[in-house]
Amino acid sequence: MRTHRTFVLGAALLALVVSACSPGEDESPDASTGADGSQAADLPTLTVGSAGFWESAVVAEIYAQALEDAGFTVERQLEQGARDVTHPALVDGQIDLMPEYIGGYLAVTYGGEPTPDIDESLAALREALEADGLVAFEPTPGTDADGFAVRQETAEELELETMSDLAEVADQLTWGVAQECAENPNCGLGLERVYGIDFASLDVETLGACSTAIAEALNANNIGVAQVCTTQPEIAGFNLVLLEDDLGLAPAQNIVPVVRSEIVDESGDLLESTLNAVSALLTTEELTNLGAAVILNGESYEDAAAQWLADNGL
Amino acid sequence: MIEFLGEVAAWFADPATWSGRDGIPVRLWEHLWISGVSLAAAVAIGLPLGLAIGHTGRGARAVVAIANIGRAVPSLGLMGLAFILLLPFGLGVGPLPTIIALTALGIPPIVVNAYVGLREVDRELVEAARGMGMRAGEILGRVEIPIALPVILAGVRTSAVQIVATATLAAAIGGGTLGQIIYIGFNVGDQVRIFGAALVVAALSIGTEIAFGALQRAATSPGLRDRPYVPTEPAQVGRSGGEIGMP
Amino acid sequence: MTIGPVDVDWIVDNLDRIGGLVVEHLYLTGIAMGIGLVISAGLALLIRDRPRWYGPIIGFTGTLYAIPSLALFALLTPLTGIGTVLTAEIALVSYTLLILTRNMVEGLRAVPAEAIEAAKGMGYTATQRLVRVELPLALPIILAGVRIAAVTTIGLVTVTALIGLGGLGYLIVTIGTQRGSFGLTATLTGVVLAVGLAAIADLALLALQRALTPWSRGRAAT
Repeated sequence: MRTHRTFVLGAALLALVVSACSPGEDESPDASTGADGSQAADLPTLTVGSAGFWESAVVAEIYAQALEDAGFTVERQLEQGARDVTHPALVDGQIDLMPEYIGGYLAVTYGGEPTPDIDESLAALREALEADGLVAFEPTPGTDADGFAVRQETAEELELETMSDLAEVADQLTWGVAQECAENPNCGLGLERVYGIDFASLDVETLGACSTAIAEALNANNIGVAQVCTTQPEIAGFNLVLLEDDLGLAPAQNIVPVVRSEIVDESGDLLESTLNAVSALLTTEELTNLGAAVILNGESYEDAAAQWLADNGL
Repeated sequence: MIEFLGEVAAWFADPATWSGRDGIPVRLWEHLWISGVSLAAAVAIGLPLGLAIGHTGRGARAVVAIANIGRAVPSLGLMGLAFILLLPFGLGVGPLPTIIALTALGIPPIVVNAYVGLREVDRELVEAARGMGMRAGEILGRVEIPIALPVILAGVRTSAVQIVATATLAAAIGGGTLGQIIYIGFNVGDQVRIFGAALVVAALSIGTEIAFGALQRAATSPGLRDRPYVPTEPAQVGRSGGEIGMP
Repeated sequence: MTIGPVDVDWIVDNLDRIGGLVVEHLYLTGIAMGIGLVISAGLALLIRDRPRWYGPIIGFTGTLYAIPSLALFALLTPLTGIGTVLTAEIALVSYTLLILTRNMVEGLRAVPAEAIEAAKGMGYTATQRLVRVELPLALPIILAGVRIAAVTTIGLVTVTALIGLGGLGYLIVTIGTQRGSFGLTATLTGVVLAVGLAAIADLALLALQRALTPWSRGRAAT
């Protein structure tokens, strides 16, 4: 029957097309190799990944370039999205190294309860990571936590300096927060737990977290309070006031390079020492400056990273 | 799979799903009123335009251009642009960028269908009406529009479905709607919520299609009801005929 | 350097990234169109001689078409994973089915009966008839559908950015709206590229149609 033949033909074509086009994770347009061909001695090839926002990407790029300078062959898979993508990728070995935030990683991925105490939180994180075959090296002195900012005028008018001050007038302002703030222990849930703010009753608009957009909306009087990342360059750029976290809502949010233990074993000390040397120089100020370069000046991650490494003699 | 569907059922049964800012009722209402306002605006702008072009027969090229642009410009792009442009004016947050984008999206099907509908009216009828002494406005109102009504309403229907469907994307620019529940679900990796909210959205879209389809049939004069059912597409317009619109 | 609101320097600096996103966008579109064409062809051949199946199949694909893209991705997610290419592609293919199948059936039905009779008279087998007579005559309508499907798909691929895939939607929404006013360049670039790709696809298919059906150049093709 002719329809029978057509169907067989169609099915065969379909099978051909489907098999030829398997989801190409390794075809990510961001992958690029460093020095190709001969690998230095027995140094493994690393794939460096990052989350989907500028800070993660630029720190990852800095790590990547530093490792290349040290002789590693490095591939990149930057801006892969949120933890629901990057964490499995790390565990499965699609990426070998990722910069992560102590508090956020521990709370969101491992359901832990990080505190503002860095040693405590880091120890808890390391313990959790071990079960997944992951290792965290030394943390950066710089941190990037969720914070809340208001305009200058608002701060003066309502006499706001700390989060506790804000808590008293919380329902008078429109809040701009990330989409999932309500369920985030560092955001909505934390505001209730630590500052006694009834988040469910607030006037809330959702925007991209840590984005220029949310800072602009604040600046343009669209919202009264904005959830920001403490290293956002827009805070200084728009002359906003970052409220002090006086009751310690934000957990320790220093950055640590998280590496698969297999890679650590294969790399000897060089990996650790290189990364730690870099991390040691990443202060909060440096992170904010990198933000200014990438966000306000529109530099590429590559350029900004290269410039930073050069400036810091690495 | 059965297990998963059980979890989805449980999600629907959970009172938390129906309460609060990101609960179904709040977001559903938001979805409906934003869609409604956008559709009304699209009709208010598109219908007169389409009728004018259709009645005079001039500006066919403009119609083709509108149709093609309407199809090619991604809805997310319109929303993103509206959001960014309004941000410095303090209007980026909230429903306004979404409404503007949805209205723009909803105009092409209405214009094109009004045009095509009028063009398809038998010229002899129009001549006869003119011969009877009817003025342009009367011809339009008593002859052309009633005959073209099914096609015109098909355009409104296409526009409505497109608007309701695209409103889902408003979550990407902080515009809320039912899409917000799906979007948050993706952000936190909650597959049950993703699926459940999607069911509600799908039901809403299909419901809109059915509702407007019924409206279309009800509003078609009985004398025309024997005509073959006109699906939600304008007839060939210039070179690129066929369906307008996409979610 | 800025031209009006557009920061040309940014575009130049990020050309790599933009190019990669365009490639990704085309990749996702191509797969959807390819698979869509195959499935639609199968459906069309199935339906065209079974008028009673036309209604249900068109109705089903039409219902799929009415479901918003984000919702369809979401419905597929439990089966095929969050933000996977498979999830996106199944949805994208589904959206092409309505237009392609319907236009293929209409196209085949529009072939003049005399042409078919003549072919039968000349002793063509069914397959020969299909390939040598029916398809060429049905081509204008079929290609019109392919053009619409292509343009539609290119637009829909932008939405995949919301579930974590790349493409121009990433440029438009993820980069663009995050950067607020600074993101206007990124968003505009994304929109212009998307429209550009759609226009190129449309024109290329139109050229293909003209090339394959030289006899129809005299009158306006549908």
